Amino acid sequence: MEIHIITRIIAAVAIRAKEGFTMAGPNIRGGLVSLLIALAGLSITGTDAAAQPNKRPNFLLIVADDLGYSDLGSYGGEINTPVLDNLAQKGVRYTNFYVSPTCSVTRSMLLSGTDNHVAGLGNMGELNAPNQVGKPGYEGVLNKRVATVAELLRDNGYHTYMAGKWHLGLKPDQIPHARGFERDFSLLVGGGSHFDDQWNVEWQIPKAPYTEDGRPLEKLPKGFYSTKHYTDKTIQFIEEGRQDGKPFFAYMAFTAPHGPLHLPDDWLRRYKNRYDEGWDGIRQQRLARMQELGIVDQGANAADRLYFLPRSTALTPAVRVMQGRKMELYAGMVEYMDDQIGRVFDYLKKIGEYDNTVVIFISDNGAEGNDLRAMVAGQVGSMGFLHAMNNFAEDGHNSLGRKGTYAEYGPAWAQVSMAPFRIYKGWVSEGGIRSPLIVSGPGVQGAGKLNKEAILHVMDIVPTVLELAGIQHPSTYKGREIAPVQGKSWVGMLAGRTQSPRTSDDWLGWELFNNRAIRQGDWKISLLYRPFGTYDWQLFNLAEDPGEQYDLSDKFPEKKKKLVALWDEYVQMNGVIIGERSPFERARKALPDAVPEFDSYPPFRGLEALPYKKLIELMNQ
Amino acid sequence: MKSGIRLTRLWAFFATLAIILSYSGLALAVDDGARAYWKGRDGTNVVSFQYLNLNMKASGTQQFDPSHFIYPNADTKANVMIANFARHLTLFNRASSLAINVAGGSVDLDANTNNVPSGFLPPQVTPGTSLSQSASGFADPSVQFNVNLFGTSQLKSTVDLVNYEPTLTLDAAVLLAVPIGQYNKNDLVNMGLNRWYGRLGLPIKYHFGAFAPGYRSSFELTPSVWIFAENDDFMGQKLENDPLWQIEAHLTHDFTRSFFGSLDLLYRSGFQSEINGINVGDKLAVGNLGFTLNYQVTDSLTMRTSYSSNVFGDSDLNSSLIRIQIVYAWHRLMENMKKLKQGH
Repeated sequence: MEIHIITRIIAAVAIRAKEGFTMAGPNIRGGLVSLLIALAGLSITGTDAAAQPNKRPNFLLIVADDLGYSDLGSYGGEINTPVLDNLAQKGVRYTNFYVSPTCSVTRSMLLSGTDNHVAGLGNMGELNAPNQVGKPGYEGVLNKRVATVAELLRDNGYHTYMAGKWHLGLKPDQIPHARGFERDFSLLVGGGSHFDDQWNVEWQIPKAPYTEDGRPLEKLPKGFYSTKHYTDKTIQFIEEGRQDGKPFFAYMAFTAPHGPLHLPDDWLRRYKNRYDEGWDGIRQQRLARMQELGIVDQGANAADRLYFLPRSTALTPAVRVMQGRKMELYAGMVEYMDDQIGRVFDYLKKIGEYDNTVVIFISDNGAEGNDLRAMVAGQVGSMGFLHAMNNFAEDGHNSLGRKGTYAEYGPAWAQVSMAPFRIYKGWVSEGGIRSPLIVSGPGVQGAGKLNKEAILHVMDIVPTVLELAGIQHPSTYKGREIAPVQGKSWVGMLAGRTQSPRTSDDWLGWELFNNRAIRQGDWKISLLYRPFGTYDWQLFNLAEDPGEQYDLSDKFPEKKKKLVALWDEYVQMNGVIIGERSPFERARKALPDAVPEFDSYPPFRGLEALPYKKLIELMNQ
Repeated sequence: MKSGIRLTRLWAFFATLAIILSYSGLALAVDDGARAYWKGRDGTNVVSFQYLNLNMKASGTQQFDPSHFIYPNADTKANVMIANFARHLTLFNRASSLAINVAGGSVDLDANTNNVPSGFLPPQVTPGTSLSQSASGFADPSVQFNVNLFGTSQLKSTVDLVNYEPTLTLDAAVLLAVPIGQYNKNDLVNMGLNRWYGRLGLPIKYHFGAFAPGYRSSFELTPSVWIFAENDDFMGQKLENDPLWQIEAHLTHDFTRSFFGSLDLLYRSGFQSEINGINVGDKLAVGNLGFTLNYQVTDSLTMRTSYSSNVFGDSDLNSSLIRIQIVYAWHRLMENMKKLKQGH
């Protein structure tokens, strides 16, 4: 009992210390709390939470997979997402929230609070370059240099649940159950069928492996549909664990709307013909709504349509319908996910826990514009091709979205999803790394507010959750040293005491597939493979040019130099190894040629066909 | 990594023009066939040729189809070719079609005339003897008009076709045969009927699953009634028939994108014959079961074969039908697209 009292005192002091020193930097905060802990000669134990279960909030961390920045209604999208829009009204939306360009990399930071190059996902495990293999930080799985937020919460009196995609390791000591989740229903790999046929995208692991409560699943239950089942499991876990009154941390890692675009039959035509007008019109409408909502500043430069994408009005109506079908499916998946999230909220309200639950909603990376099926199965005669032949060859217009099909919506729609940004998943341009973020719940002030000032990162979630739970991130875990958290707690910001957890001197860095970027304040440098970049540093001002259209290197050489120096610091700090190979090294050749017509070229031609009657009218004017 | 629009999909989409009608034409002894009332884009032309081999053996006083009276202990063999042209149209903003059918071939009959009413025997045939007779030439041509009433609005544009995903459909089909086929008033068997006749049908379809090649399944039911004018010169007598009620059903399923199969049912009843106002023979009550296999060779060309035999209903009639059919369809835009794809 005495230990519990001391522990509570330490936790209370720690919270006050953090709140008081939010802007003073992590070292001061951490030092103070560490000192208190050391003085007590104790480590925080889970019994504390059990003693006062209602004092600490629950956490519901919801991650969408490949969801675009502007897809939600509350971010300007036309997709029907009432549940998340209501969440945004109850909580706060943020416009400068960053993730990594790909999913496992983001997830490593999400769960560890530190940079992916430290946490083991310096590169995606599937795509490590030869010179990265075996190097620290490039294990391709969430390594033991970090402790997960689930481990820390579980050890400190929280129930920890996960349902959805893991993608951070397959071996027994790497799976969710081994990394802190008491209960789980997890897809261990990056993606595959959303149905019970269970195929994986990769031919090397043709059948997608799942675990339930740490045990490998022989097969998925009949009738399985990912989003529905993950929701069922989340509700089940919470229900079965709530008798002891402990708070919970539930990680809903949806695989929607990651390709293949799959939907239950009764949702297949929910957006029938909604996108027949083509990507340009939809993107313009989104941009207008984003300006109305304040997500995008009036007059800010949106990215041009990528050079190899035709304007949609140059396509025949039938082709537009066929292309639109894919976006219909994508939108259906997003709304279905929204609907299922609503089920969880309803359940939490029913058991009286909703108001005590901090909800964090994010996407894991930019919208997917790459053709993953072609990447897997593009070479006739390859194993990937054979795998596709066996599992996902069907692509008939009316069959898309069903079992055995593999639809993705492609780069043009991905650009719509990522409006106003440039490029999409995989790249460190804003289109690859900017994500929606909604936070709601106890400790979050300013219902319905839009925060455009804070520059936030997925690494921030661990320190934020820990602080709200009254837990200090330790320097060791189970006898091993672990990397410190690099993210910054949002608690002060959520409480309305500050606009941002970062100062103007703070900066963020990215590296993946050898593409790199640094952001400090409104400025960003990036180095991208051709054809999207020059494979040299380019400088952008994101406040004026969120579309990263104008390289200001020549105009502001000193600024660029300063940011490049930060890049060097980033490399040193995180042990970044530039790969000998990169999946994007051939991007210039792999992408299609430029389309012959742009919006303003050739100049004489209009954007729409001119019927003869109308032409005569014009001639007679 | 491959990005951008795959315009080649356009080609694949045009392949869906394979939902062309394959009007089986009419041979009165056979059904319309599986997927006969599937719709095509406005302007699609379909030509079909089919060969029918029909064998019947009657042990009682039976009638094998609306045109012929069959004799006890009769063996009949027919070899018929049917040519059919159909064009898909839009009428009243509904998917519609108009088809013309021309049939020709031969029929051979071997019969025992015992117990045959004298009025049914040709002048030169002595009652109680055996009879062999043949006929060859053109049968009565016919025209059939079909319009959708529910479930399939117009298919005028490519967009209409791309968006076409029928579930429950209801059509109206009207057929009229013109009595200009081969007919010899002194013969028992003829290719033509020497009377006007026609059919009113209500084809109903229910489509299961995705309406995409490789996925399609359907249950098709066509109740219809054949109506006949009188034949005022049936060996010098007046032949009248009651309406013939007919139910045709198919359960079809795509096995692959280009290959489907069907279980077929055809049930007919009624058709009581009267000679000079006196009932002759029995009413018809025949049920046939069979199957169809259909292979789409190219986007335009389809081959089909089917077999059926009567397995319920009247027990004194045995019949079997083998059908081989070739269907070729084209649309101006599709042809032009081929030209463009092939270049100069």
